[in-house]
Amino acid sequence: MAGQSIERREILRILGVAAGAATFPGFSKWAFACGHVGNTPTQIKPAEYRPLFFTPVEYATIARLSDIIIPADDTPGASEAGVSEFIDLMVSRDPALQRNFRRGLNWLDAHSQKTSGKIFLHCKREQQTAMLEPLAYKKKFQIDEEHGRKFFALIRQYTVMGFYTSEIGLKELDFPGLNFYADSPSCPHKDDPEHRHLAPPK
Amino acid sequence: MPKQIYDVIVIGTGAGGGMAIKTLCQAGLKVCALNAGRQLDPEKDFRYHRRSWEMTYRGFGDPKTRMENTPDFLDSEYNKGAWEHDITYTTAPDTKWMWPRCSAVGGKTNFWGRSSARFSDIDFKSATLDGYDTDWPVTYEEMAPYYTRVEKMIGVASTVQNRPSNPDGVYLPPFNFRCLDMIVQQGCQKAGVPYLPDRIAQLTVAHEGHPACHYCGDCTFGCDVGAFFSSPWFLLPAAEASGNLDLRTNAIAKNILMDENGLASGVAYIDRQSRRDYEVHGRTVVVAASCIESARIMLNSKSRQWPNGIANSSEQLGRNLCDHLYADTAAGYLPQLLGQPSFPDNVSANPIAWMPRWQNLTNAHEEKFIRGYSVYPDGGCSEFPSYYDRIDGFGSSFKRDIKRRYPTPITFTVQAPTLPSEKNFVDIDPTVKDSFGIPVARIHFHWGDNELKMFRHAKQICADVMDSAGGVLENSADEPQSPGYSLHETGTCRMGNDLKKSVTNRFGQSHDIANLYVCDASVFLNCTDKTTTLSILAFTLRTSEYLLEQFRRGDH
Repeated sequence: MAGQSIERREILRILGVAAGAATFPGFSKWAFACGHVGNTPTQIKPAEYRPLFFTPVEYATIARLSDIIIPADDTPGASEAGVSEFIDLMVSRDPALQRNFRRGLNWLDAHSQKTSGKIFLHCKREQQTAMLEPLAYKKKFQIDEEHGRKFFALIRQYTVMGFYTSEIGLKELDFPGLNFYADSPSCPHKDDPEHRHLAPPK
Repeated sequence: MPKQIYDVIVIGTGAGGGMAIKTLCQAGLKVCALNAGRQLDPEKDFRYHRRSWEMTYRGFGDPKTRMENTPDFLDSEYNKGAWEHDITYTTAPDTKWMWPRCSAVGGKTNFWGRSSARFSDIDFKSATLDGYDTDWPVTYEEMAPYYTRVEKMIGVASTVQNRPSNPDGVYLPPFNFRCLDMIVQQGCQKAGVPYLPDRIAQLTVAHEGHPACHYCGDCTFGCDVGAFFSSPWFLLPAAEASGNLDLRTNAIAKNILMDENGLASGVAYIDRQSRRDYEVHGRTVVVAASCIESARIMLNSKSRQWPNGIANSSEQLGRNLCDHLYADTAAGYLPQLLGQPSFPDNVSANPIAWMPRWQNLTNAHEEKFIRGYSVYPDGGCSEFPSYYDRIDGFGSSFKRDIKRRYPTPITFTVQAPTLPSEKNFVDIDPTVKDSFGIPVARIHFHWGDNELKMFRHAKQICADVMDSAGGVLENSADEPQSPGYSLHETGTCRMGNDLKKSVTNRFGQSHDIANLYVCDASVFLNCTDKTTTLSILAFTLRTSEYLLEQFRRGDH
């Protein structure tokens, strides 16, 4: 545990003040675990998060995009997993990432203004997905949208990184590692080496 | 106070240094070991047992300081601070070389891939077989007992396989085959290539006081219980217990000292923290700093007698640098496993099976290249779904596809040896010094035709295997990884019987300076298709006992 507290202290340092951590949903658990911070669990409300890098509108756009990429459906999605906080933290640490994200967000809003007269965030969900489809599916690629495609690939990459390293994301995958196994895991279908007759997936 | 004279000064504490230190200390010699970095604390420095969401940057590392184009295992948050940064190096203008080094006590054995196949006569007598370069000055018969002793010491899990290129050893029970192994093995059978349990220095049962593996996950971030071989878990404790070891950490070896008789008399080093100069004296010196670093120390040991580096009358010091060409020759997925429940098959984040060399076995020239390569297949439920970028789109369907494909990824990695070439060598950069004021190594290296032919051959074979296994091939590397990526460099202090063409004799003892020995992969004539650690241990055990014999005879 001693090793962990170094990382926790570091995040609190990055956030500037310990109080900031109280409003930081992704990290509230950590602040709480840090005895000297002085917060009690009841004080920790995942309320308004103050971004480290993005402007409020940019941040809301990032949150919306990550939720479109990994939505809540049968299982929780990007916002429940604190993905936008993760992206903001990563971007805040790297000037090259900052340029790419800001340039991409500007492209998206300019594109949105051109097609619907509003910035991306103010469009309806259907308009938003319609705008993203040509950026996301090879079959629907449009000419002159290369900047948009690059940005979409970037935000999708960071959304996946944030989601599948969260507790929620690894539960979604049912990640089997970090457990104690008495024997090296063995294929349970030895009578079907080619695995042609497995039970159909649920 | 009279200055202390140790029996042996050992530079380095990895596979070679660790084995030399253990063997010599246990035999009663007084050993001073110099290690360029610090001691690692498994509890603090090996963080794999932490969950990704407990890491500040979720295990990806701080984007501000993360190095570009390095393998994932380097400078991850899980082992941050263990890899070398302060000691720099340069490359010739058209050379690309990635040089990941761990200067911590135990070196790269803390994080290695654990594949442990013996070299064989097909390797040692390769020149006789195919006419290229020269044979090794050792035979398999001579080396076999050392391999056996090392395997018993460290514990290697595998099976008896009766393959001509891969002599069998003494093995712990093998790793079980996982679903993906069963499927790919079927494909390999149809394609006519072998698919067998790898030789893995990882304990499937408790062994010699070390606990069995508990299959938690990614061994390349270090093992906090010591269930796979590393120098700090398996070699150094016995040396320390003997009371004969003086281990100096953060001691960066600068050059080897010489006396008026032309013998090695000690080592000059810089303390990393105080940056002060020190000297330590001994009757013999063992260089085991890893291939390029060992060459650098010896090339930097200049004197009137040795203007081009100590023990370099052959001018072969730094020459014959070899490496394994690595490339992902095929990547894709096994549709048979789509949507199946997750399965703990990525138990060590490293292959447990391999496709051992099957080319040029009966006839050295049956392929368009000489010698041969091996392939490591791997896949399954790894922690992070890095295959996501092969899936289009977004939304619930994207999320569902990531989940469905979780048990299915499969990747083949080729391990192809370079042939020794005059163009591939290490020298000292005439102008650049590191932050400690020591001239840096300059690396000259290019892939040759032979290894590039192997790469293309392996791509074709892996595509065939993928196809006959019913897999879907999605990606195949256009270019190999950058040289140095495999961390399997060999050469630079080649052993041999010809004084004009080699740096050491067949025992790793310098031809020129009788009390100077080399105990790492520097002495190897080439890198073969097998990994280096097991052979470093076996050759070092032999060299150490030869050195002891010289002491007994009163020669040192």
